[in-house]
Amino acid sequence: MNPKHRIVLIALSVLVALVAIVLLLPEESSERADEPSVSAGQTGAAPPSRREPQPTSPEADSAPPPPTRIVLAGGEPEDGVQEINVTAGEVVRLVVSSDSPDDIHLHGYDIERDAGPGAPARFRFEADIEGAFEIESHVAEDAGLEPLIANLVVEPG
Amino acid sequence: MALLAHAGDLAGGRSDLPIPEQLFGVAAAVVLIVSFIGLAVLWPTPRLEQGGFRAFPRAVSRVLLSGPAAVIFGAAGVFLLGLVIWSGLTGVQVASANFAPTFVYVVFWLGLVPVSLIFGDVFRAFNPWRAIGRAVAWVASVAARGPLPAPLSYPERVGHWPAVAGIFAFAVLEVVASNGTVPETVAIATLVYSAATFVAMALYGVEAWCDRGEAFGVYFNLFSRISPLTRRGDELGLRRPLSGLSELTAGAGTVPLLAVMIGSVTFDGASEAPVWTAVVPDLNDFMASLGLSPEKALEATFLVGLIGAILLVYGFYRLGIAGARSVGGALSGERLAKVFVVSLVPIALAYVSAHYMTYLIFQGQAISFLASNPLGKDGVDIFGTAGNAIDYSVLGATAVWYWQVALVVVGHVAALTLAHDRALVVYDEPTLAVRSQYWMLTVMVGFTCLALLLLSQSNV
Repeated sequence: MNPKHRIVLIALSVLVALVAIVLLLPEESSERADEPSVSAGQTGAAPPSRREPQPTSPEADSAPPPPTRIVLAGGEPEDGVQEINVTAGEVVRLVVSSDSPDDIHLHGYDIERDAGPGAPARFRFEADIEGAFEIESHVAEDAGLEPLIANLVVEPG
Repeated sequence: MALLAHAGDLAGGRSDLPIPEQLFGVAAAVVLIVSFIGLAVLWPTPRLEQGGFRAFPRAVSRVLLSGPAAVIFGAAGVFLLGLVIWSGLTGVQVASANFAPTFVYVVFWLGLVPVSLIFGDVFRAFNPWRAIGRAVAWVASVAARGPLPAPLSYPERVGHWPAVAGIFAFAVLEVVASNGTVPETVAIATLVYSAATFVAMALYGVEAWCDRGEAFGVYFNLFSRISPLTRRGDELGLRRPLSGLSELTAGAGTVPLLAVMIGSVTFDGASEAPVWTAVVPDLNDFMASLGLSPEKALEATFLVGLIGAILLVYGFYRLGIAGARSVGGALSGERLAKVFVVSLVPIALAYVSAHYMTYLIFQGQAISFLASNPLGKDGVDIFGTAGNAIDYSVLGATAVWYWQVALVVVGHVAALTLAHDRALVVYDEPTLAVRSQYWMLTVMVGFTCLALLLLSQSNV
């Protein structure tokens, strides 16, 4: 390859770099714009619509969000397996009620709570480990059933 | 099903968050730019053909390669092999409480990859099957009071095919079999593999089989060729990183071996992604309609996915080779495929390390408490570490993202470098060499973007 070719190729790569940066910049700023609404507003209240931007009022920011509720019937979550999205450092409150005695385990954080009729399992902890974590029913697991009841997703702040 | 999903079986813990879109875009752009600059400025004469070996002081080699050292390393390997079989058969049958599954899938299979990468072919010294084979040969030659009859010569056309079968079988156990992490299954698979290995060693000789046929020896040896540490005759020393791969003579089965290595990681990553979960129900219904039980139908579905991913990787590579062949030169496609296959080794390394890095870091910690109580019996605590727990906070999600992307990009650059160097060796005309690299570049960019795409898929 002669020097001329090299100059052309280097010029080409600089061009690609510039195009890439230009393409990426607006995307980044738009993502930033709707990020707070995703994380602050709904702490898993309605997981299927979590991608939709949700208007956040100033009051919603000051008052602590309501705890995420999971209702188990016969060991299975009534609304399907939820995805609970939080940002690292947030205090997570989670209430799991069940119509039968159960043992709810949040992996990774390794917190276990008993649940039963009239006495839901209550979790309250600071989400200080980033990553995705499974929340499982040990009673379902021991019975050979699908133990997963929800996923906790902790995004970096 | 998949190993990443098996995390739940082993200890259940933390899984990675998908890399954000911006990072994906930046990484892909960097890969393209680096590739173009690489084409422009890479060296015009081959440099990796001569490794530039520099020996360590004699004393180092003399100690590490001595007979007693070989016996100690081999005995350690045999001890661990025995521990896996014993704990798998007699221990508690819970994947997360038994030594065998975590040791085999995490410490051995994943942990030896970075070890080989840094320290060279360490597994060869610890290989329990090789150690037993050599010990048996030594006892037999003493008993026979003379040299043993020479083994059969290893057939060229068999080449790496036994290793292909071995790594594929391991991948099936890892990502397809629903009972793959049951301790007893792990122990039985280990026993079956050991028996097959001993028969093959008796036929073809211990060293010949370990070099070409023994799946794990071949697997870790491929990665160790990237390492700057090596052995030449009875000397240990340093060489240029990657130069060990230039010395690899690819034979029958080498290309399929790399396709299995990359394809199985691809499938493990894709098996949690929408592209795969969308076809699972249909495929599963079809399997069930063939009269399979629900569990078997799901296994058959995953087996189809695994084989499909491997064929996809193989086909994509062969497509690139067909392109490289079209630029001219008198080289056949078969020959070119073998010449350039070494450049897939850094790609395979990037796939394995980016996907399983956190799994190794987190689940690997479990070995500290499992080793202290290998059978998972109540009240056993040999080293006083049975009460340890996995610390999931050692690495933040952002750090994980940057590491994953960096590993993929570095693998890409290494692959590009190797392919370029190989091209300069096999083509007489430098212009043909460069033109063949446009095709190889396309293959590399394809593999690298696939790796990034897999990392950006949600896995919950």
